[in-house]
Amino acid sequence: MPMVFRNALFGRAVLVLGLAALAIPAGAACQLREIVSKSVSASSSGATLGLEFADDGALEISFRGGRISVDGETLGSYEPGDALDAAWRSLLGEAMALENGALAEMLEAWRAPSSLSGAEAEAAEELDRALEAALTAPEPVEARDGASVSIDMGENGSLARLLVGSLGRLGVLEEALEDLDEVFTIHIEEDVVIPAGSETTGTLVVIGGTLRVEGEVDGDVVVVDGALDVRESGVIRGEARIADTRILRNDGDVRGGLVDVLEEEREVEAELRDRLREEIRTEIRNDLRNELRNVARFEDDEDSYSIMAPFRPVVRGVGGVIEKLVMVLVLGMLGAGFLAFAGQNMDAIAETARRSPGRAALVGCAGSFLLVPVWIIGAIALVISIIGIPVAIAWLPLFPLAAAVAALLGYVTVARNAGEWLADSGFPWTGWIRKSNPLFTLVGGLLGLSAAFIAGHVISMAPFLGFLSGLLFAVGVIVTVLAAQIGFGAVLLTRAGRRREYWPSYDADEAWEAAMRGTDEG
Amino acid sequence: MRSGWAVCAAMVMIPAAAHAQSWNTVTMSRQLERADEIRVFVEYGAGHFTVRSVDEGLLYRMNLRYDEDKFEPVAEYSGNRLRLGVESLGRGIRVKGREAGSFDLELARGVPMDLDLEFGAVKADIDLGGLALTDLDLSTGASASVVVVSEPNPLQMGTARFEAGAAEFTVRGLGNLNAERIQVDAGVGSITLGLDGRWTRDAELSVDMGLGSLEIEVPEGLGIRLRKDSFLASLDSEGLIKRGDVYESPDFADAERRVEIDLDAAFGSIEVVWIR
Repeated sequence: MPMVFRNALFGRAVLVLGLAALAIPAGAACQLREIVSKSVSASSSGATLGLEFADDGALEISFRGGRISVDGETLGSYEPGDALDAAWRSLLGEAMALENGALAEMLEAWRAPSSLSGAEAEAAEELDRALEAALTAPEPVEARDGASVSIDMGENGSLARLLVGSLGRLGVLEEALEDLDEVFTIHIEEDVVIPAGSETTGTLVVIGGTLRVEGEVDGDVVVVDGALDVRESGVIRGEARIADTRILRNDGDVRGGLVDVLEEEREVEAELRDRLREEIRTEIRNDLRNELRNVARFEDDEDSYSIMAPFRPVVRGVGGVIEKLVMVLVLGMLGAGFLAFAGQNMDAIAETARRSPGRAALVGCAGSFLLVPVWIIGAIALVISIIGIPVAIAWLPLFPLAAAVAALLGYVTVARNAGEWLADSGFPWTGWIRKSNPLFTLVGGLLGLSAAFIAGHVISMAPFLGFLSGLLFAVGVIVTVLAAQIGFGAVLLTRAGRRREYWPSYDADEAWEAAMRGTDEG
Repeated sequence: MRSGWAVCAAMVMIPAAAHAQSWNTVTMSRQLERADEIRVFVEYGAGHFTVRSVDEGLLYRMNLRYDEDKFEPVAEYSGNRLRLGVESLGRGIRVKGREAGSFDLELARGVPMDLDLEFGAVKADIDLGGLALTDLDLSTGASASVVVVSEPNPLQMGTARFEAGAAEFTVRGLGNLNAERIQVDAGVGSITLGLDGRWTRDAELSVDMGLGSLEIEVPEGLGIRLRKDSFLASLDSEGLIKRGDVYESPDFADAERRVEIDLDAAFGSIEVVWIR
């Protein structure tokens, strides 16, 4: 059962507001809207008036940053401090002390100052009109000159749904109704048929339904969010305006032509789509370029797909092996330095590490744990003693440095021991390690200690052997930590090789040769 | 208050004010649509804060002056909840060396109200007279606050709670609150509690104080019984009679209205002052 409202209309421009105003009972007297909430805000950067009305409407007029806006829409511009800005601020000054009725009257009565001219005057006029339009409740009047709107709804609640849920559709409707005749028949969410042989006069508006024209329409036709079906016998003497509408058939006579009011919008959409497409294309091009750059630099990203993905394990494995070899080279050079300048100390340390590795490892562990406390307590003690403050200044950087040197010295010494052991071991690929040359034994030992790591990296290049490489890395860590602790402990036990814990065993032949060398020299 | 609006109006009309801080002046108000009980939350961080009651058919009217680079006003009304105040924009608050803002709030007279006031480093001047309070929570940080209940509360209140951090905190007209229990929780500072006003029933007052001085102003004729639990707090109980663990006013047994006071103070001084 369709519901029918008959209300008068001020004009096409306010049709949409008229629809919203249908909720107001017909016959209400002309009056100002009731203001339930007011907000007046002013600062050096702008001045804003916000109103809420009893019918849930709201208004916000803002002068900010040279822009005048009404409910977010730009109305015009102003210069901060100009006559219009001053007039607006003066109005807000008065608005501060007034409420509801008095406030509405004052705002409605506001007129643009006559002293304004040009663009300022135009903006003020617009502002005046906006205030009046917002503050004046819709005024029901008798239909004049046949200007009327009748609304048929497919079912109760269609209008409410339309108003509450489809504000976007109202915007489209407003666009579609622009410049049309003032006599409207609006059908909301219902199908309309103009039967063959019949004639209807005025603008026919169908929202959310199908309009089938078999007879004649003496006026314009507007279909929003629906479908238009003009049969062979159908005649539309005016324009057929469509928005978001499918054309089922256009076999009749549309004398004013078919106008798609959203064509411009679609063009904008198409333009936007093209721009987006171009942006996506550019982005893909950039991604590809970055990918190629990554390939060139052997960079990779675990989380993203890359054409380098299948080669990543190989690149990583080779990188790991190279890293270890470089480390062996660096430690070898350090070891060579120790051999040259502290060869005897290294011998003493090596002897202790060889003879009692367990004791050395325990001392090394204890020493590692005590390093930081000793450093801190030592510094505090020196500072407290006052006279030790200059020593504390040296203590703070030198103690960690000495500890690092001790750890390195210990490690390379143990590596040399390991090299000697490998030289005697008869393992394949150890024949090149000459025991008589400490440099060879040192490098051989360093390679031996790193062997598990190197093997792990090599295996990691092969697929499905991750667990094995992980195991080898774990072995490598254990070997390294053990070697470092034994070495560090041996350094501590021998006071950096200055105090021998063990003397080489007595060799009668060697002693005889030494004695003979002494006699010859004498 | 009229002169206040005039000053605000003058400020609005001056487009270019001082620029060191971006001061914004806002006046907000809402018509009183129905007289159901309403829960009101008011928050204010720093500045000068005043509260009054308003007639004129308004639910509230507030006038704020704040630095718009740092704060934004809040006025949310939904169902029976009203939230007012200013919120920090999260760009850091530095009060020292800056001009403070102000917040003048007027709340509907006679509308049943559960009022929750929270303010920080403010100088507060609050008059709860004329408000119909069903519940009151007042919490202040480092402030100098004067709370006055200048007119009797027409509604009976269960508990009124006052919480003061490091403050110079004065409440007068506690009798007008029409509360069954009054709780005062003070951290550090100087607290003055005026038991004047119209007591319509017997009540309990409990004061928990950390460090500071507490002065209780007692009108002659009101019966009080004071129980003290303190660590290092002295009590000047002139005019009170000690009976066992408690101190009583001489006419306590015959007094028309009696207030039982429970004091829990750690350090400081407690003084009972008699007023006419």
